[in-house]
Amino acid sequence: MKFLKNTARLKQAGFIVLLLFLVSIPVFSTQFFLTMMIRYMYFGLLTISFSFLAGQLGLFSLMVPVSFTITAYTIAICQVKNIMPLQLSLPLGFAIALIFAAVCGVMVNKTKETSFLMLTLVLSQLVWSIALQWTDLTNGSTGLLGIQFPEALNIFGDKPNVNQYYWTFILFGICIVLVWLLTRSSYGMRLRGIRDSESRMIALGYNTAALKWSAFMISAVISSVSGILFLYYTGMISPDLMSMNSSNQALISSILGGTNSIIGGSVLGTVINRTLELTLSGITKRYALVTGLLFLTVILVIPDGLTSVFERFKRGRKEGGELK
Amino acid sequence: MIFSTFLNGLTIAGYLFIMAIGLNLSFGLLRIVNMSHGTFYLFGGFVGWNVLKVTGNWFLGLLAAGISMGVLSFFEEFFLLRRARGKTTMETLITLSFSVICADLAIWIWGGFPRQIKIPKILMGQFSIGSINFPKYNLFIILFAAVIGITFWLILKKTKIGMIIRAGVDNFEIVSTLGINVGRLFTWVFAVSGFMAGLAGMIGGTFQMISPGEDSKVMIYTLLIVILGGMGSFGGAIVGALIIGMIFTFGSVFAPQFALFFMFAPVAIVLVFRPQGLFGRRPAK
Repeated sequence: MKFLKNTARLKQAGFIVLLLFLVSIPVFSTQFFLTMMIRYMYFGLLTISFSFLAGQLGLFSLMVPVSFTITAYTIAICQVKNIMPLQLSLPLGFAIALIFAAVCGVMVNKTKETSFLMLTLVLSQLVWSIALQWTDLTNGSTGLLGIQFPEALNIFGDKPNVNQYYWTFILFGICIVLVWLLTRSSYGMRLRGIRDSESRMIALGYNTAALKWSAFMISAVISSVSGILFLYYTGMISPDLMSMNSSNQALISSILGGTNSIIGGSVLGTVINRTLELTLSGITKRYALVTGLLFLTVILVIPDGLTSVFERFKRGRKEGGELK
Repeated sequence: MIFSTFLNGLTIAGYLFIMAIGLNLSFGLLRIVNMSHGTFYLFGGFVGWNVLKVTGNWFLGLLAAGISMGVLSFFEEFFLLRRARGKTTMETLITLSFSVICADLAIWIWGGFPRQIKIPKILMGQFSIGSINFPKYNLFIILFAAVIGITFWLILKKTKIGMIIRAGVDNFEIVSTLGINVGRLFTWVFAVSGFMAGLAGMIGGTFQMISPGEDSKVMIYTLLIVILGGMGSFGGAIVGALIIGMIFTFGSVFAPQFALFFMFAPVAIVLVFRPQGLFGRRPAK
């Protein structure tokens, strides 16, 4: 019983159990559950890339799927048209997505709040319009189909699904650890300083423009990783992924979970959003309606998201303990 | 060919201008980007189509589209946006979720296929100037947009309400200290902007088609106009609508693969050199 009272130990133990569970999923689970986990993870990364900006800087970016799609499109085009092998197309995809994000980052740097939201929306639609209309390269609204998971990466046994799961899991884990470290570091503190009062941070001598730009780039990197995972999971890419609806889904997941807790909120929000989609799409065609209503309720009732409810509960219990 | 394309561009600019004034008005005063503005366009078109089907009168449909959307946006402001007043990002997110809900509702109510709204008999047929034929309906849109524009300009410049609105755009805190009920003003301005979007929905739906998905498309075009012209600027809305309308039509004719790209690119360039838009003023600190 003494062991249970030590909350730090308990957390560690819980973390290890969770990790073991996630690693062992392919051993016992069904095909369905495995693919669902992959979906949660790639979509979770997209949500994290949104939440990182929203939570640390207070900026709501509607262009998170842009880096996602650019990377995926580049790799898909290279593979479909046989331009270059994966070893080259992968860095190329990253490079193009990041260069674009760097330019956009400079453009949106001075704006905040609603104008930031609007500008990012316009920029994402710019990329969407290219993907939709440049049919020679992107195949228009049909998109590019039949992208195979590279065989060279089959190092976890023969089943392609299991391999995909482990690769997704590894990349997801790396991204999560990096984001966790960043939010804990002094860098994360500086970003939150900008969120709370940019003028004060400037007065303290920080280069806030560079800090904001770098955060924008980190978000783009995470989104790109998510794009690669998506491309190999579904084997296709189409302009649909960058429509307003798609960026809304990341936003909805993030706010459902709560932007203040980046990792916990994103994972929770993604799981709820995707599970709802999965279960409701079997029952009714109106699942967008349900998600929208849920989203509206969350904004009006608990604008800080579901994780804030847990936080409040935890804090309440702690304070109660102190009183005794 | 070039002349008729030009007139087509003017037509599209016409109904996008009606959309843009509404968005501009609600942005200038309430400081939120109304993401459900496109939804009002879509719903307005569908309501107008329904009324036209029942009564057979196109102009009644136009009026119904405007009024019903005015009422809908009134409810949105009164019951939802007021709860988050002051937190602009939250307000924008509320309009966003409203548009997500309504987009799905539209599919539920009217189905997922496009509808053609019939042009009324009076406006059917063509004008001929020399060798150029020009549909009467297009001329109607251009004139209608001009009338709306002039009316708005007169209201804004010459009446007391217009004076209050202009003052509110500059600094609504001061206006509220002068004993003006700003909350009520916000609601009415928002309702009027919804009314405009409803009108534009009927007019644009007759000119092209009305179908689910149109809402986000028109929303984006309107946003482009508003960003290009400058947020909250009346003259900016006119110039922005003309530029975007022209680029859209000329782009579709001469470079169909990049028509959309050509619409976005100038906006991006303007943003780099003049972040507040062509006619926008820098926000007061």
